[in-house]
Amino acid sequence: MSKRLECAIPLNRVEGDLELKVAVENGRVVDSWSSGTMFRGFERIMVGRGALDGLVITPRICGICSMTHLTAAVNALDCIAGIVPPANAIRLRNVALMVETIQSDIRQSLLMYLVDFANPIFADHAWYEQAVARYQAMQGSRCIGAIKETKRLLEIVALIGGQWPHTSFMVPGGVVYAPPINDLQKSLQLLKGFKRWYEQTVLGCSLARWQAITSVAELDEWLNEQETHRSSDVGFLLSAGRAIGLDRLGIGHAHFLSYGAFNIPEGSLVVGSTGQLVASGFAVGQEVGSFDQRHIAEQVAYSWYADQTPGGLHPMEGVTTPVASGAEGNKYSWVKAPRYAGQAAETGPLAERVVARDPLFLDLLQCDQGASSLTRQLARLIRATHLFAAAEQWLNEMIAHQAMPYYLPVPPLLNGEGVGLTQAARGALGHWVKIREGRITHYQIITPTAWNGSPRDEQGVRGAWEQALIGTPLADPDDPVLAGMVVRSFDPCLVCSVHVIGGGRRRLMA
Amino acid sequence: MQKTLIICVGNRFFSEDDTGPRVYDHLLGLSDRPEDIGVIDGGLAGLALLPLLEGRQRVVFVDRLEGLAPPGEPVILTGDRVAAMAEGYGHNAGIPFLLAMLPKVCSSPWPECLVVGMSGDADEPMIDQLARFSIEVARNGSNGF
Repeated sequence: MSKRLECAIPLNRVEGDLELKVAVENGRVVDSWSSGTMFRGFERIMVGRGALDGLVITPRICGICSMTHLTAAVNALDCIAGIVPPANAIRLRNVALMVETIQSDIRQSLLMYLVDFANPIFADHAWYEQAVARYQAMQGSRCIGAIKETKRLLEIVALIGGQWPHTSFMVPGGVVYAPPINDLQKSLQLLKGFKRWYEQTVLGCSLARWQAITSVAELDEWLNEQETHRSSDVGFLLSAGRAIGLDRLGIGHAHFLSYGAFNIPEGSLVVGSTGQLVASGFAVGQEVGSFDQRHIAEQVAYSWYADQTPGGLHPMEGVTTPVASGAEGNKYSWVKAPRYAGQAAETGPLAERVVARDPLFLDLLQCDQGASSLTRQLARLIRATHLFAAAEQWLNEMIAHQAMPYYLPVPPLLNGEGVGLTQAARGALGHWVKIREGRITHYQIITPTAWNGSPRDEQGVRGAWEQALIGTPLADPDDPVLAGMVVRSFDPCLVCSVHVIGGGRRRLMA
Repeated sequence: MQKTLIICVGNRFFSEDDTGPRVYDHLLGLSDRPEDIGVIDGGLAGLALLPLLEGRQRVVFVDRLEGLAPPGEPVILTGDRVAAMAEGYGHNAGIPFLLAMLPKVCSSPWPECLVVGMSGDADEPMIDQLARFSIEVARNGSNGF
């Protein structure tokens, strides 16, 4: 009879506010429970505040993805105002969000994911010394390079939004500032400079060469084509990731969700579907359907909140009533369990690729028999290849039409309901807002990590990474490197999904 | 550009982490605050504070510091000591990671960095004391402390 071991595993670099418990049999994970360990009170903080306060407060939910919270907040207010901002405002908002997304992807990939290949557990592999030289925490050449380059890239947001993180430059009706042509041209040069580094270092080839890859066979051909490809970060991820079996781990529910992002303004030459550069949709396996936010509901059967109507509540009706007396039975997380049409789903760059019916990623799903940790991380590392051209185009369009408006006056927002949806670096982010007599009466936020890191739902169905962990080898619970890589391929952001504090936990300095 | 900077860090929405922001607010209200010392609300910006450090001679961070002295007593740490506390990058990477990476990524000579703070729930006199302490450290460095 096999021995079953239940243990909590340390995943410090995932997030301090995440605890993961797994059951292990025969050295593999057979069950898992993901727990957000701190209560996030932002929904309650917002109630009673002024209609526009979400623009200042919600970006403070997270220092990594503050721009996406600002975007979701302003989208909800645009919705309430019934206004479509001017084309230039949409362009400027899009460029800022793209920059935040790209820097997040690069830092996550090089500083938080590839660093695991420098773990001594892999010392027998031929690529180990290279991994240490490149990705070792705080020492690796690629890590240092990534910080330098992303720091420079973020200057674009400083030019556009005055600061990063926590800018509030988006307002209902547009943006607060029409950047002068000099700033737009400088932003364009910063973007082009970053793109050159990305091509040389991350891809090892031109964007055009990478974008010509449409199948796994062509991906392998690219990998074998020349040394610059193999020695790039993408090449390293593919080679080393396959060597340790990441292409066979992390297979989740195969349900993929994208809210869509980057609205295409009228008159723009940028092309996309569903009116956005990044399409919205919900996919079951490779079958992609349309997305309708009315099918979202949050369940709390296993979350430390007061029990609700069976089937959960749509976020426009959702409540956040914490219950944590210590006698809640099965409840084990401060993260709620969002479901789309009753189904658990993963979200993030891989979901975006699936919803876009990207042939390379559909083929990878086929070959890996699902969404593997490696494919998920690859989607993140190459997401910038789908953003650079549009960002450049929108900057050029603003330079060409600089005299056009960036703001349309909006009357005071007194009453209404609005939904603000976007794609954060980690995936689908939504804000649901009600305003009465100029005050917020309701604010619900569903973060990407709520989707990916949710606990079980009423049916007992695991959340996305709970499911993805099943089958992961776990030889040493004290050094769960592969389990960590499975979870990290979702790029968890628990600081976003849970907030405020439990007793006895204090940061020293952050 | 002011060559000396006080950067107050922390989360003003979170009472257990609002010492830095409260010192920032207090500093802005001090009539005798030296004009040649800049004051910044660093919030939770962490690594995003890097550009503010470039070109400075001295930067003093103000934060809540636990376990180093009795509550209410100002503490000063060198940047090197704080950098040694860094464990790697994460979404909650803070001042230790910032200071550890500074010499590696700074494109100009990096400043002398010091961290001051105190533990416990500070009352207004303590905030005033810490604010004035941060000015002294910004003026004189760690000399005499």
